[in-house]
Amino acid sequence: MKTVDDLVTIIRDEIGLPVTPADAELPLPDVIGWDSVHLLALCVILERETARPISLPDVLEAPTLKAIYEVAVSTGQS
Amino acid sequence: MVATAAGIVGTQPAHDDGTVPDLLDLHRSGQLVEHYPAVQGLLSDLSEEQLLRAGRLLARVDPAEVLARHPGITALTIAVVGHGTLAGLVPPLTAELARHGLLARLHLGAFGSYVADLADPASDLYAARPDLVLCLLGPDLIWSEVTAPWRPDDVDRIWAEKLALLEGLARHFEDVGHGVLVLNTTPLTRTHTAQLVDHASRARLGAVWREANARLLGLAEQHPALVVVDTDPLLAGGIPARDTRMSLYAKAHLSAELLAAYAREIGHLARAVTGRTRKTLVLDLDGTVWGGVLGDDGIDGIEIGETYRGEAFRTFQQVVRQLGSQGVLLAAVSKNDAETVHDVLAHHADMVLRESDLVRVVANWHPKHDNLRELATDLNLGVDSLVFADDSPYERGLVRREVPEVAVVALDDEPARHVEALLADGWFDVRVLTEEDHERPARYRAEADRRGFLHSFDSLDGYLRELGVRVLLAPATDSQVNRISQITLRTNQFNLTGERLQPAAVAARTRDPESLVLGIRCSDRFGDNGLAGAVLAYREDDTVHIDNFLLSCRVFSRGIEQACLSAVLRHARDTGADAVVGTYRETPRNGKVRDFYPRAGFVPVGAPTAQGAVFRHDLTEILPPPDHVALAVQLAGGETP
Repeated sequence: MKTVDDLVTIIRDEIGLPVTPADAELPLPDVIGWDSVHLLALCVILERETARPISLPDVLEAPTLKAIYEVAVSTGQS
Repeated sequence: MVATAAGIVGTQPAHDDGTVPDLLDLHRSGQLVEHYPAVQGLLSDLSEEQLLRAGRLLARVDPAEVLARHPGITALTIAVVGHGTLAGLVPPLTAELARHGLLARLHLGAFGSYVADLADPASDLYAARPDLVLCLLGPDLIWSEVTAPWRPDDVDRIWAEKLALLEGLARHFEDVGHGVLVLNTTPLTRTHTAQLVDHASRARLGAVWREANARLLGLAEQHPALVVVDTDPLLAGGIPARDTRMSLYAKAHLSAELLAAYAREIGHLARAVTGRTRKTLVLDLDGTVWGGVLGDDGIDGIEIGETYRGEAFRTFQQVVRQLGSQGVLLAAVSKNDAETVHDVLAHHADMVLRESDLVRVVANWHPKHDNLRELATDLNLGVDSLVFADDSPYERGLVRREVPEVAVVALDDEPARHVEALLADGWFDVRVLTEEDHERPARYRAEADRRGFLHSFDSLDGYLRELGVRVLLAPATDSQVNRISQITLRTNQFNLTGERLQPAAVAARTRDPESLVLGIRCSDRFGDNGLAGAVLAYREDDTVHIDNFLLSCRVFSRGIEQACLSAVLRHARDTGADAVVGTYRETPRNGKVRDFYPRAGFVPVGAPTAQGAVFRHDLTEILPPPDHVALAVQLAGGETP
């Protein structure tokens, strides 16, 4: 996962939501079809994709898809 | 074309280059609804992880749209309630049902509202009239109420309260709901036992926890509408019980792996409650039942018995025999010479399975898919009731392609894994086992004798006269309730409406004074066929309504159905009714009984609707029972010859 667009593709293909790169900076409640329950599945998928543990509380608190991407790629690098 | 278990034929979508797209392609191109009947075939060979991913995509599809596009698909309404976050069960459950050609209409209870959902008859849960209610219980059911410092007795007290609550909810569900309620045992993890530093307390906690789970399992014995899934054997397969982060941060108290295993069990329960339990296990022989190749190695060269691999094959045979003892019909389909196979089954000292355990042994050099089709016809069953186990990927692939309705069990060249592979799916799961199940294999073998007898006659009439058919039509007793329910669940061909009744629903009818639940017992010169059919009716004013008429595929076309219908009509007339009304509702498998009522003198009432075709008999001219049937009727107000 190199860019936030890759995250968007993962959400489209793995969770099945019709998101586009334009949704990346929208507040999550404004993203069509978004529900907090998707975060749990997404955390598992992201850990598999990045092969690194991700901080669940940080993902759960992230306000946008872009913020989720940043948590996913930054975790483990600090 | 792909035929699903529901009998729906869907066009397999194809790319321009001729390759078959997978589920992701269908999702990306927005064609999942259009090609939904093809989904079952696309899921048949997926890994656990791929299946979960498929489930996430399928869960995004609106079941109402699928049903509007493919009205023939069988949909099941499932309510999921419980303690904690339940959303993690949606993808695996959706995928497992789709694997069986079933469409899941899921209703998720609000967080933490399971008590209100189940206790309030006016709740959304009951309004949805779910076929299955899954009340998912995690360890937090107990631990969320335990505060430090605690002792095992505190846990015991909380469990006692929860068990009383759950039993009350189960009782209430039986009064108010109409489907099946599913509870589950819940695991004890080391993060709790290890909080106790002395071994005596740890042992006590272990005992308290298991006694509570055992009592939970015991509830199913007293409540016919209840099923309790035991999670211990699922966990013993080597999967984690929980993910501590998910449990703490997201209140998802059971691991994704456990939810997947649980969903698989529910998929088979869904098969059972919709009458899709498979009936026959068909085994390859070389490499499956014994090691080696009989044709090359000879009767003394095959692996069975005292060697390492021989032991593994013998263990597998024991398990197959165990399934056979519970009503699963066993058959063999093998590329071999019939005589050599007969020789092994009859004379090899180390064989567990014998010819008497198998309803048919088909050993020839025809393609296996042709043999499977013929076997199903011969047993008067649909190919969708067969499970086929083979160690050869070639044979499995061919059967999958040619007869996709057959469930295929993939064995490999390690016989020690055969048992696990065979039992990974509960293809033969039923709600309850009846006496009939134990007798079934012998009855199917007697059927082969009957056919041999039939071939010795010039005409069917002569055969039927010599067959000596005896029928007893009588109200169902309490001990027959489970069997009557099973007849509604297992019978697909001679089933006038396709309606399935769980044991609790049959029991309720037997208690209703206006309702008639009649069992059909029959026997002939070859033996007792047991309780082989049922008539479900009720009386309203001067009209008797036949809700359903069912007869096992083993015994129809021998005059039994005409004799029983005639008896019901005479009973109606003798007790003052002026008409009998019956309904035929078409299902994928019951076309052969479309004219059952008209042939007995019923006339159509109006044009057929989505609810079925209604027929009425005015009781002026009742056809007598066929001469060759000795009919005994035990009905209040009726005759008792």
